Amino acid sequence: MNHDIPVDQLGPQGEIMAHAIDACVHCGFCLPACPTYALLGDEMDSPRGRIFLMKEVLEGELPLFEASPHLDRCLGCMGCVTACPSGVPYGELITSFRGWSEPQRRRSAFDRAKRGAILKALPAPRLFSAAARLGQYAKPLSPLLPTSLKSPLDLLPEHVPAMLDLPRRTPAQGPQRARVALLAGCAQQALAPNFNAATLRVLARNGVEVIIPEGQGCCGAAAMHTGARGEALKLARTNLAAFEPDDYDAILSNAAGCGAGLREYPEVLRGLPEEAAARQLAAKVMDISTFLARLSEQGGLEPFMPAKKPLKIAYHDACHLAHAQAIRAEPRALLKLIPGVSVLEVPEGEICCGSAGTYNLEQPELAAQLGERKARNVLSTQPDMVASGNIGCHTQIQSHLRRQGSPVPIHHTVEILDLAYRGEL
Amino acid sequence: MNLFSRKRPEKLALNTNAPVTKPRSTDAPHSPLASELTRLLGPQKVLSGLGERLNYRYDAILVGETPLCVVLPESTQDVALAVKAAKAAGVPIVGRGAASGLSGGAAPLKESLVISFTRMTRLEIFPERREARAQAGVVTLAVSEAARPHGLVYPPDPASFRTSTIGGNLGENAGGPMCFKYGVSGDYVRAMQFVDVDGEVHELRRDAYDLAGLMIGSEGTLGFITEATLRLTPPPRFTRTLMSHFPEVGQAAEAVSQAIAAGAVPAKLEFMDKACTNAVEDYLHIGLPREAEAVLLVDTDGEDLATVEEELALVESACLAHGGTVRRAADDTESAALWRARRSISPALGRIRPQRMNEDIVVPRSVLAEVVREIRALGEASGFHLVQFGHIGDGNLHPNILFDPRRESAEQVHELAYQVALVALRHGGVLSGEHGIGAMKRSFMRDALDSVTLEALWNVKRALDSQERLNPGKVLPGDADLPHQDTHAHP
Ligand SMILES: Cc1cc2nc3c(=O)[nH]c(=O)nc-3n(C[C@H](O)[C@H](O)[C@H](O)COP(=O)(O)OP(=O)(O)OC[C@H]3O[C@@H](n4cnc5c(N)ncnc54)[C@H](O)[C@@H]3O)c2cc1C
Ligand code: SF4
Ligand code: SF4
Repeated sequence: MNHDIPVDQLGPQGEIMAHAIDACVHCGFCLPACPTYALLGDEMDSPRGRIFLMKEVLEGELPLFEASPHLDRCLGCMGCVTACPSGVPYGELITSFRGWSEPQRRRSAFDRAKRGAILKALPAPRLFSAAARLGQYAKPLSPLLPTSLKSPLDLLPEHVPAMLDLPRRTPAQGPQRARVALLAGCAQQALAPNFNAATLRVLARNGVEVIIPEGQGCCGAAAMHTGARGEALKLARTNLAAFEPDDYDAILSNAAGCGAGLREYPEVLRGLPEEAAARQLAAKVMDISTFLARLSEQGGLEPFMPAKKPLKIAYHDACHLAHAQAIRAEPRALLKLIPGVSVLEVPEGEICCGSAGTYNLEQPELAAQLGERKARNVLSTQPDMVASGNIGCHTQIQSHLRRQGSPVPIHHTVEILDLAYRGEL
Repeated sequence: MNLFSRKRPEKLALNTNAPVTKPRSTDAPHSPLASELTRLLGPQKVLSGLGERLNYRYDAILVGETPLCVVLPESTQDVALAVKAAKAAGVPIVGRGAASGLSGGAAPLKESLVISFTRMTRLEIFPERREARAQAGVVTLAVSEAARPHGLVYPPDPASFRTSTIGGNLGENAGGPMCFKYGVSGDYVRAMQFVDVDGEVHELRRDAYDLAGLMIGSEGTLGFITEATLRLTPPPRFTRTLMSHFPEVGQAAEAVSQAIAAGAVPAKLEFMDKACTNAVEDYLHIGLPREAEAVLLVDTDGEDLATVEEELALVESACLAHGGTVRRAADDTESAALWRARRSISPALGRIRPQRMNEDIVVPRSVLAEVVREIRALGEASGFHLVQFGHIGDGNLHPNILFDPRRESAEQVHELAYQVALVALRHGGVLSGEHGIGAMKRSFMRDALDSVTLEALWNVKRALDSQERLNPGKVLPGDADLPHQDTHAHP
């Protein structure tokens, strides 16, 4: 797309943005992939529209405040990236744009406090866990609260589980096949500690030694995608120091969003001294499903106990697996290794469930509509169980399944593998 | 007119550190028309902010003028009200579907009201009548998806079918790879509802005067299609695929003619020239024949496997007889792999240059080799990357000029496009097979049509839109448009 962006005034992030805008030929092929376009049916809330809006703001033709409401509605789900035939790096564009524009935003005191609290609590598992517990007690009050406060409460599970202390090192069982580092994740540790526990068990059983490096922190994706660039840089540097890529065969994440976040470090640190280190790290980062699928191809996995009766699992593609990292086949292939399991495809599978990091808190109405739609689509397959590879999708879909009165359980893909190993499926 | 850039208001200073002070829209947020429309339709259906309006000034090829106001109707009544209000205000109106058009049809050339049909998505299937009733904003693919559970499909298949709307398809009379055997969008219309320039609603069938036919392909210059009744068909039970490549373009064209003469009616018949094949091969690395001057991709389909195979055999022997090398797809996976090459043309070209001017000429198959050669020579002489592909069954060619608007001159691109169009006209061809005339090829119309015919078209236009309020500046060249030759004198 023709543009007039003063790249030289904007630095390395400016180049990223200008390149993305250049690449867009405004063909509109991304429109049907966009959840907000599906809900609102207007051009400003489509990927093409957002690219135009960012271009206009960067060129100085449109005041930021006119574009912001539409850019804020973007889930960052990357559905548009999958759909775009011209390879427009929309993710890099919107992330850079948010980083650039956030300091210029005028937000209300309440808004600022809310964002501040989220960005503080998310990366701190213990703080988050405490907040979640508090929230649990506040749940009965929820009908009385305004939507902006109510929505996070509605999302909390019935029981906030106790935090697990994670071992720094989990040895491989049998002959060692690999040595990996695991990113423990933040909100996930508080809301679903079993994801990590199951991951450690499944990896160890397959001959993988797992280290959970000390000093690691939040991946920074939430900060980055909400435009808190300073915070994101700090978190990225913390993790660069904690994970030494040369020490491991892979650096694993079992949360789609966090894995994608680590892989974005080279863009975040573009033009800074740590860029090369970020590239090295990003090259080692792998989702747990990809890693297990590779083990399975190279020498196989320990055999699974068959499911007790034929089990239909609806697999939900987390956006940050399917769109951001192009991981679709691997989790399905893993589930199909379990005797008795069949994998179901969810209609409109490529459309985001509405969780999208902090979206539930920032755009509660749209998030709820998408969650409702996702739960309906999932249930239309009449599954016995739902699988997904991301904590955000997990809580969102679970909460909407319950709201629609469904008892169907939802599990992380690795939890299902773990259950199968234990003969509990 | 320079179609690729627009006038810019003065720039605001841009500085990463300094917050933008006084965030204020440079335009007045509300025009009297916007206020009136908001009163009539409510605020949800009317867009008047600058950011909103800026986003309704382009389609997939052209960036036009910022509209005065945008309406997102949900019903025919909404459309009628909006048209009446615009008429009272004396403001021109531009209809818009998904804005995937490639001739600038949906991009306003004057300050206008844009009516965007994307929220008019009601769709009903009547399996017993093999019909669908679709509002204008229904996405093309959605019709087939809704029909499939009833054992039916909607055959028109423009490459943009996941995005484009029924209104836009009928506005352009869109075609696609399937059109050789199955026809174009207009062939599937049984009835139509449209709103005229006065805001009156009409129900048209295709008997007596075929007014529905007049609306089809009129690019929003005669009225607004609000609903259409579409014919559905059962999908073919069997499909077979082959790819063939030739050392010379003429051989490919002759092979196609021979196969058709022998009685084969392929469902799809696609052509790629050498430059196009190489672009795709650079992108996909799937072993396409780089040295071939022409690649053909052919599907035959039908109810009866023996006939489908027989038709494929006819195509195969015609290709072999004309020096082609043939590869048959063994199964669906292999056929999908072959078609992937065709579907990847867009992204492959996007990697060479960010922009392209997509031509859409149709020529008799007998002159195809000549035309392809002449166009290639023009491309080589111009220094631009030029590739050609198309639906060879009907002689529909898409010469694409690839360019970088920041380094290459838009005028030269336009000039080359014009020369390409003239090649088609010289060989008895036409300017558009499926993408329409729009704004991009309007000025070539004087070369394509004699003045008497042009006047007849103008008379139709005046009968339905005497004040030129509907999509002004599209399709028909105006009095101000001198014959193209005069403005582009050539050495
Ligand atoms: C990569 C790519 C591939 C393409 N491939 C093909 C192809 O294979 N075959 C093909 O034919 N086209 C193709 N196109 C062009 C385009 O997709 C078609 O012209 C399509 O029909 C446009 O539909 P739309 O909904 O996007 O309409 P728009 O672009 O929004 O509008 C097209 C025209 O119709 C008018 N219009 C829109 N809605 C209405 C209405 N309700 N009533 C009256 N007029 C209306 C507009 O004013 C405009 O003049 C392609 C485009 C792209 C970007
Ligand atoms: S699909 Fe890609 S090139 Fe087309 S409009 Fe969307 S982002 Fe731009
Ligand atoms: S990231 Fe998702 S929500 Fe945002 S523009 Fe792309 S498809 Fe739409």
